[in-house]
Formats: sequence, C-alpha cells, structure tokens
Amino acid sequence: MDIILGAGIIVKLVLLLLLSFSVVSWAIILFKFFQVHRAKSESERFMDFFWKSKRFDAIASQVDRFANSPLTVLFNEGFSELKKVVEPDSKSDGSALSTDLGGIENVSRALRRATNSEITRLEKYLTFLATTGSTSPFIGLFGTVWGIMTAFEGIGKTGSASLAVVAPGIAEALIATAIGLVAAIPAVMAYNHFQHKIRVLINEMDSFSTEFLNIVQRNIAGK
Amino acid sequence: MSRLVSRDDTVSGVCFVASAVIHLTVFLLLLWWGRLFSSPSAIHETYYVDVVNLPTAEPQAGLPAQKSDEAVAVPLPAAPQAMTVPVPVKTPPPKVVKTVTKPTKPTNVKAPAETESAFASQMAKLESARDASRKEADFEKSLSKVKGAAGSKPGMPGAGGITAGSSYPDFIKSRLEDALKVTSSYSSKNPEVFVRLTITAEGKLSRMNMVRSSGDAIFEMAVRRAVDLASEKFVPPPNRTVFENGFVFKPKGIASASSR
Repeated sequence: MDIILGAGIIVKLVLLLLLSFSVVSWAIILFKFFQVHRAKSESERFMDFFWKSKRFDAIASQVDRFANSPLTVLFNEGFSELKKVVEPDSKSDGSALSTDLGGIENVSRALRRATNSEITRLEKYLTFLATTGSTSPFIGLFGTVWGIMTAFEGIGKTGSASLAVVAPGIAEALIATAIGLVAAIPAVMAYNHFQHKIRVLINEMDSFSTEFLNIVQRNIAGK
Repeated sequence: MSRLVSRDDTVSGVCFVASAVIHLTVFLLLLWWGRLFSSPSAIHETYYVDVVNLPTAEPQAGLPAQKSDEAVAVPLPAAPQAMTVPVPVKTPPPKVVKTVTKPTKPTNVKAPAETESAFASQMAKLESARDASRKEADFEKSLSKVKGAAGSKPGMPGAGGITAGSSYPDFIKSRLEDALKVTSSYSSKNPEVFVRLTITAEGKLSRMNMVRSSGDAIFEMAVRRAVDLASEKFVPPPNRTVFENGFVFKPKGIASASSR
C-alpha cells in the first residue's frame, strides 16, 4: 500500500488510468460474456423452433421469446420486408415474376443490412478491449520509466548509491508495469475469445440468411 | 430493436458496477493480504552501542547540575548522602580499635581471672552498641538513598535519563555518524566539512552553519542530508539549554570540535 502512496504524481496518474482501463475492460468482458452467451444459446433454441414450425407467421408471433438472438433480428427484418414485397403483390396480382425477383433481392438486402447491424452490435466495445490489451503495457512502462527517472534523481541528490536508496524507487516504479500487465492480459484473452465467438455467430447468421432466402424463393417459385 | 438496445444499456450498466465491485474487492483483498504478510518488509531501526567508548559519562559534564529545575530539592538529599557514605567505612575501624584497646584497659586494672566475665559482658555491650550504630548508619544510608532516588531520575547517577549513558555531544555525534553512513558512500577521496550546529532546548535543530569546507559539493550535500536525517533523532539537550557545537565531517567519521 505504501508503495502506491509513496509514488510520484505521474506514477499515481498512470496507475489511476490503468485502474480505470481495467475497470472498464472488465465491465465490457462481463457484458460481452452475457451478451454472447445468451445470443448463442437463444440462437440454438430459435433454430430448433424455426425448423419445427411450418409457417413464418407462427414463428413471427413467437419470436419475442428469443429476443437476444441475432437470428430473430434477421428473421424480423426479412419477414417484414417479405410482407412488404408480397402484400402489394397479392392486392394487384399483375406482373408476378418481376416482383418475384425484385422481392428476393429486397429480402436479401434487408437480411444483409440486419446482419451488418447485428455484427456491429455484437462487436461494440470490443475495440476497447483490443486497445486496453495493446496500450496498457506501454502506459505501465511509461510509469515505470518515469518512476525510475525520479528514483535516479533522488540517488543523485543524496550522492549515495546504496540499495536502501535505490530499491524503493525502483519498486514504486515497477508497480506501474505490473498493473499495466494485469489490465492487459485479461483484455487480450477476452478479446480473442469474443472474436472467435462472434465469428461463429456471424457464420450462423450468414447460413440463416441463405436458408431464409432459400425458403422464400422456394415458396414464391412454388406459388 | 430499440427495446433490445435499451436492455443492453441496463445490462452494461450492471456490468460496469459489477466490474467496479470486483476491482474494489480485489484491492481490499490485497490490502488485507498485505496487512497479514507485510511484517517482514518493515524496516527496523538498528540501535547499536559504541562498545569502545561505552558509557563515557564525564562527571563534570554538567550531570549533577543537570536538574536545574529541581535545584532546590536536590542539594538536601545530596548532602546526607555525601556524609553517610563514609560513615559505614569509617565507624567500624574505631569500633575495632576500641574493642582491642578496651580489653587492654581492664586487664591493667583488675586481675585477669576475675575480669574474664566483665570483659565478656563489656565486649557484648560494645558489640551491641556497634551493631546499633551500624544499623543506624545503614538506615540513614538507605534513607538518604531513597531520598536521592526520589530527587533524581533513573539512569546514570544524577542523570536526566535521556542522555543514553553518554555525554550530549557524543550522543549527537553518534546520530550524525549513523546518518552520514546512510547518505555518503565515499571511500577513496578525503573531503572535510566543518559544520556548526545549534540545537534548541526542545531538541530541534535550529541552525546549521557550514563554516568551512574542502569544496567537495557532493560530500557537502551528503553532510547536509545527514544532518537533516540525524536531526529527526535529536533529543533535548541536558539542562534544557541551547546546545551549540562544531563537528568535522569526514568520510571516515565525525569529530566533535567545540572550539574552532
């Protein structure tokens, strides 16, 4: 404890900055953990439900149960776009084929847009983890270098190079690097973990989009 | 979608609070752990006794005169002590002389066979008298001791109990030497700095005057720091007067130089 209180103002500021980095990155880690975990489990349940049910209407009425899954967002966007495309078609049953192709395109675009927004939502705040992981060791190193500089100044002033004079200053300085590493290591680990999980979710969304489009095309073509 | 985002916001707020709580917990745990295991890191002050000149209490170094504030009370117990101390030493020899001479007197006056019993009784009387006087002397002596103890403080005879068994300049010199060992690490060169120190009656360093120096700036700085460091350990001078003394600082040690 004395080691922190005895440090210079710059070292203290560095420690404070690193502490805030650590608090925020842990908040993001916890938040992302819940978000990704729920997204994954609810996506699995939604896919089961999706393959069991026969009609999009029935799925649309039940979709709120899986609100945390990105697939439901995709489904909602695609389904509302599909309704917009199909309903005018049913009212004025004119050129069916042209609306077919245009409708598929529209649904595809809507799905792509929803996928992109979901990727953005899932990857939100992850950059902070990457930043923390890459910069906090350097910030800690800066604190250490500064602390050692002041320690050497002190040594020069006393004119004594005994270990009793040198050691406390260096210990004070090194704590900055230690805290920097403490902040960086979990951030890097969590960043890699969530990157992997989110990539899996993106793949799921892509495959769901193609499945959805396939079903839509089959049904419209079968009409 | 908007519902989802707002829910995310509340969750992120909860996560932030949870993260802060985790950090606080870890910090407190570290503090607790540090309190449990930090005892080896505490640096204990080393006190050592200068064996070569152990208690060098100079009798004339103002030790009896130290109790200026008790000046009225002290002379009274001191005077009986001065008188009673020789009493047990002096009184027995006259008694012995008496006991030797007295038997010779009666033997001269009376017949030896008859005087045997008289001599024995007189001998017993004399011995009892001598015992009584000796007891009285012992009592008086112990009484004076008690009075003396009440007048002076424990420690060196008549000392204030704060001079660490040494004279005050030596005490200051010793503290300065301790401090100089910390602040200076010279061994090859031989600079010299003469410093006059003034210590107030409360034991605070009031003035430090560098009278003469061999011109080594680094050693001067070390001396300054040594004086600063040592001044934390100064005690009030005896007699509660302002103390002023000169010290010659050399890398090998410090010499006290009161007049220069």
